[in-house]
Amino acid sequence: MAAAALLSPALFVVLLMLGAPLALLLRFSLDRYDPTELMIETLTGANYLRFFADPFYVGVLRTTLGVAVAATALCLLFGLPIAYRLARMTSRWKTACMLAIVLPLFVGSTVRMVGWLILFAHGGMIDGALRRLTGGGLELMYTPFAVISGIVSINLPFVILTLQSTIETIDPRLEEAAESLGAPPGRGFWRVVWPLTLPGTATAGILCFILAMNAYATPYLLGGPRFQMMAPLLYWEFSTNNNWPFAAALGLILMATTLILTACSSLLIPRRYRVA
Amino acid sequence: MTDLAPLPLTRRAVLAGAAALPLAARRAAAAEQQMVVATWGGDYANLLHDNVDVPLMAPQQIAVVQDVGDEDPRVAKLYAQRRLPRGADDVVCLQEVRAHEVGAAGLLETIDAAKVPNLVHVLPNLGAPTYAPHIWSPQILVYNPDKVKQPPTRFADLLDPQYKGRVGVGDGNYFYVMMAAALAATGDLNKVDAEATKALALRLNANGLRLYPSTDSIGAGIKSGEIDVGVMWLARTIMWQNAGIPVQASFAAEGSVLYISGMVVPKNAPNKPAAFAYINAMLEPSAQTRFAERMGYLPTVNNCPLTGKVAEQLALPKPAPVLAVPDYGITGTLQPQIAEWWKKNMQRA
Repeated sequence: MAAAALLSPALFVVLLMLGAPLALLLRFSLDRYDPTELMIETLTGANYLRFFADPFYVGVLRTTLGVAVAATALCLLFGLPIAYRLARMTSRWKTACMLAIVLPLFVGSTVRMVGWLILFAHGGMIDGALRRLTGGGLELMYTPFAVISGIVSINLPFVILTLQSTIETIDPRLEEAAESLGAPPGRGFWRVVWPLTLPGTATAGILCFILAMNAYATPYLLGGPRFQMMAPLLYWEFSTNNNWPFAAALGLILMATTLILTACSSLLIPRRYRVA
Repeated sequence: MTDLAPLPLTRRAVLAGAAALPLAARRAAAAEQQMVVATWGGDYANLLHDNVDVPLMAPQQIAVVQDVGDEDPRVAKLYAQRRLPRGADDVVCLQEVRAHEVGAAGLLETIDAAKVPNLVHVLPNLGAPTYAPHIWSPQILVYNPDKVKQPPTRFADLLDPQYKGRVGVGDGNYFYVMMAAALAATGDLNKVDAEATKALALRLNANGLRLYPSTDSIGAGIKSGEIDVGVMWLARTIMWQNAGIPVQASFAAEGSVLYISGMVVPKNAPNKPAAFAYINAMLEPSAQTRFAERMGYLPTVNNCPLTGKVAEQLALPKPAPVLAVPDYGITGTLQPQIAEWWKKNMQRA
């Protein structure tokens, strides 16, 4: 009872600051758009029907999902070895390494994207270097590669820090026990450490997936007008078209898709490794 | 050298002075009115501040507050506040096509020479009963003279295979690009929804058209050698030339669509007298000249002759190019459907 009382202020703030706007968003999404009235109050599912009946919008959602899945997979792939090494590191350089991982988070994502622009642009560092070396350039700007690279660069520190804190809770003596029983290091990691990191991996993956699904600045700046993902499309409908009901429906569809897939992701982890 | 005598400040005098401060502030507030101008940011806002707000409005005891943002949210705000007795903005800066749209919805105050005396100097065909044009510029074909020896002279020249992947346009300027395509395909820039117009635009897209997220990124594309030709305003070309980017302008033989930007007064503007005074001030030759010098936009008034380098840069070629003004009654209604078509067929090609 006392615990519930302690929770109630936070719960009230969450309900007020999150629940109320979401309820309003849901209400807007059931309105009808009119170019001069902006929104006409009604109760219609037309905005949702429009989304699912039009292959264009479904295609944008598919692209968003593809980018989010690819970025999450790459973040886990790159993040796990770094996190493992960091967790097992005992030297005095550990603090410096941790700082190096955290430092990019001090720079805003838009500023970092400008850095990628310089790197990927026509005549930029990569293209310019390749032209000098091989005579042929490499167009990376406004490609899926550029967008996924940008998102990975933003999300990787979150993934590494989450995984590292999980691995640090795994007793190193378990690996030593596996080794003493004849398991080579790779097999010991795969059979002992990896299953124990699964809950943390799932958390890191979910964090990365949610951030990637909602990415705005990266697809806008590095993907260009032809690379469409849900967040820039949503903003375009809201600000350029002034179609608030459809933009609200897009927002809720994006949120629902992310929530459903996040909930389903726990099914990928065997039951015995799930956090109770 | 004399010693500085201490000020005869007593505790009572300080308290009396502090008590009088709100009265003095109220007198100052009564003397100075405030108005809000909703505008684009960047150079445009800075030039308004330096050449209209401070030198022309401050002496009239009108303090100008800029509400800086994009055009689309400004339009949304006009619609959203239409039923309020007092809106947020006194003057709203809009392109003429958007101004016509909100004017047709009955949201704008009429602007005439009785309220804005400088309106008598405005060039014909640029304004409307609810709209005061501020700056204008023809849309031209821009090219890099170092790379293009035979400049394009028609919109259709951009389909030439030699320009495959070398043509760039601003994604945000899609409607003006479609009007240029309409002029080339049908001879009527208002037919942006004609099949011939869309077919021409799709052929341009198939020739490796590059869409840039911002206007300035086209200049960067030309500078880096990514593209050689594009569709742009003459004004922007001049800004790029001044910045050392190798660009030249070519007027399309079929005509050039005019970009017109100006100001409107919402019907529920809180301070309409100040709003009309502001529009009168922005039409003053001193302010118009600075916009021409700094941004390359042509003056919208006939009492502002340009001289020197800016006059040379902004001089229209001889024989005079065909300048085409859209029928905003038609194009204003087509904007949403063209936006949808562009998104699905040009962006997602």
